[in-house]
Amino acid sequence: MVLETAILIGLLFSVATFLILQKSFVRILFGFIILSNAANLFVLSMSGSPDGKDGPVVLSDQPMVDPLPQALVLTAIVIGFGVTAYLVILLYRIFLDHKTTNIDELYAEDLFNEAGAEQVNFEIEPANAREAKEGGS
Amino acid sequence: MNIAAFPFLLPFLTAILLLIWRNPSDLRRNFILASVIGQNILAGWLIYEIFTTSKPIVLAIGGWTPPLGIVLVVDLLAAIMLALSSLMLLGCVLFRYVSVSSSIEHPLREPLVQFLVAGINLTFITGDLFNLFVAFEIMLIASYALLTLEADDWDVKQAFPYLSINLVGSALFLIAVGFAYGIFGTLNIADIANTALSMQDDPRVTYLGLMLAVVFGIKAGLFPLYFWLPNSYPILPASLGALYSGMLTKVGVYVLLRTFTTMLPESLSGVHLLLAWMAGFTMIFGVLGAISRNFVRGILSYHILSQIGYMVLAIGLFTERAIAACIFYIIHHIIVKATLFLIGGAITCLNGTDNLKKTGGLWAVAPVLGVCFLIQAMSLAGIPPLSGFWGKYLIFVEAVIKGQTVGGYYYFLVAAAVLAGILTLYSMLKIWNEAFWKPAQPGHEPRLDDKRWVGMTAVISFFCVISLAIGLGAEGVFQVADKAASMAMDQDMYIQAVLSARGKGVAPSP
Repeated sequence: MVLETAILIGLLFSVATFLILQKSFVRILFGFIILSNAANLFVLSMSGSPDGKDGPVVLSDQPMVDPLPQALVLTAIVIGFGVTAYLVILLYRIFLDHKTTNIDELYAEDLFNEAGAEQVNFEIEPANAREAKEGGS
Repeated sequence: MNIAAFPFLLPFLTAILLLIWRNPSDLRRNFILASVIGQNILAGWLIYEIFTTSKPIVLAIGGWTPPLGIVLVVDLLAAIMLALSSLMLLGCVLFRYVSVSSSIEHPLREPLVQFLVAGINLTFITGDLFNLFVAFEIMLIASYALLTLEADDWDVKQAFPYLSINLVGSALFLIAVGFAYGIFGTLNIADIANTALSMQDDPRVTYLGLMLAVVFGIKAGLFPLYFWLPNSYPILPASLGALYSGMLTKVGVYVLLRTFTTMLPESLSGVHLLLAWMAGFTMIFGVLGAISRNFVRGILSYHILSQIGYMVLAIGLFTERAIAACIFYIIHHIIVKATLFLIGGAITCLNGTDNLKKTGGLWAVAPVLGVCFLIQAMSLAGIPPLSGFWGKYLIFVEAVIKGQTVGGYYYFLVAAAVLAGILTLYSMLKIWNEAFWKPAQPGHEPRLDDKRWVGMTAVISFFCVISLAIGLGAEGVFQVADKAASMAMDQDMYIQAVLSARGKGVAPSP
């Protein structure tokens, strides 16, 4: 059980790394999802081998697995879910703005150099840009 | 009454209240200001209390006796950081009040700033490694949201690298936490320190140290891991740029301090040396990047990196005086860097741009702003008697002592630090020449009819005075920093203070 888990975690990490290094957004997104799951599984595996042990739900005579990593992983899953939701929306917004899902095309023309600096909204606060457009409400 | 939880609770409850009280108005702003001033008073009182009693304040949450439950620990280092984060919050809030009228403010911006500060404060006061992870996530999620709030398509594109590197960092942090639990069987920082004392030569502890150095190196912006920072910070509005540049990377430095001084044993000299070399490269590459930029926020964003190098170099030297110098440097740097970002905002307001080719003519119309910039820029470069000089001086002295006693290669790090200081002066003079001394460029004459710059200059002068006071009263500040360093490095005292804390009930049987 320990060895299989270790192999699975390693496999998930390698797949995640491979996907994150791809050029398409969608693959990068899947890469991050797999990465967070691999990390969760790693934390879960810290409760040790469950062979011959009970789940930590009701008291019994048998020894129980360590419940703490399970509590930790619940929190980590929730956080990972929230961040993934944000990432999906951000990538969708980038897709809507630039009509591409390819990193190379997206960052091709403009490194943040002089030309890039020109493109930035130089107002003090983004809200001021709106004020300027509306003629100072 | 135990007030250890209040530095987290105050901004957190304020944020929740602001979510309910949605519509921005002047009354809402006054309420926020009152809350922020309350946070400042609380942090100041914490420093005074801990400095006089020399004992950390420990709160066992939910009555669970340590090391079983979550504990909050406020020692002097944490109290100093809390004071700095509340001070930066005050500056950020005031600067926005003078630069944006409440009628056009986004309703979510203020609550998100409060959530961000709640996360930062929880990072400082937590005494538990997993709780540290949660605090980081609160802070990061708020920072993602603020980075892309009201962002245009260019901003969103620059936010993506910030998000991705932090996602990888979070995953690595989670693995490091799991790893620490696997090694020590506990996540309480005091209990880990206690267990690690008897595992000095265990290679797994070294491995954990390396992993944490990578994770927090990403947050702090250390040499091979900093590429996300210089492009993502310039998309922030000036007030938030000040808060981010002041606090977010320094959270990484604080956690490096906390893990390597309080949590892990002193015997990890290999990891310390690695940190020192990473710091040396960070200084040089950061300052070279700053020279290559020609807009104010870009230059300042790269300077965050080169200054981080000095602090982490001090951690890498790992003597008590060096840690004290690091804390002194953090105090100096947060205030100076945030003020410079605010000055960048004022330049943008006056000239309509912060591209150095188009700015100019500010010395003639805004000499107070010019004097403030000069003081802060010289302080950043390390000209005596300003605050930056004392921090740099102490770090140089410690590095030279290490060079004499340990190995000559420390002299390379001293040389790198001196070089970075000189190049910092060069790039600061570039801003000075182009924005203040150069005559105004056609089409970008200073817009004096826009009266916002007067209020901005007032906020900037306030921080300038604080920075001057740190430089001129360096002795007093250094005594506080020295005491914070000795408390942070005194593992026995920390372990004793945390593990002797009792919750309300009896101690549960293991």
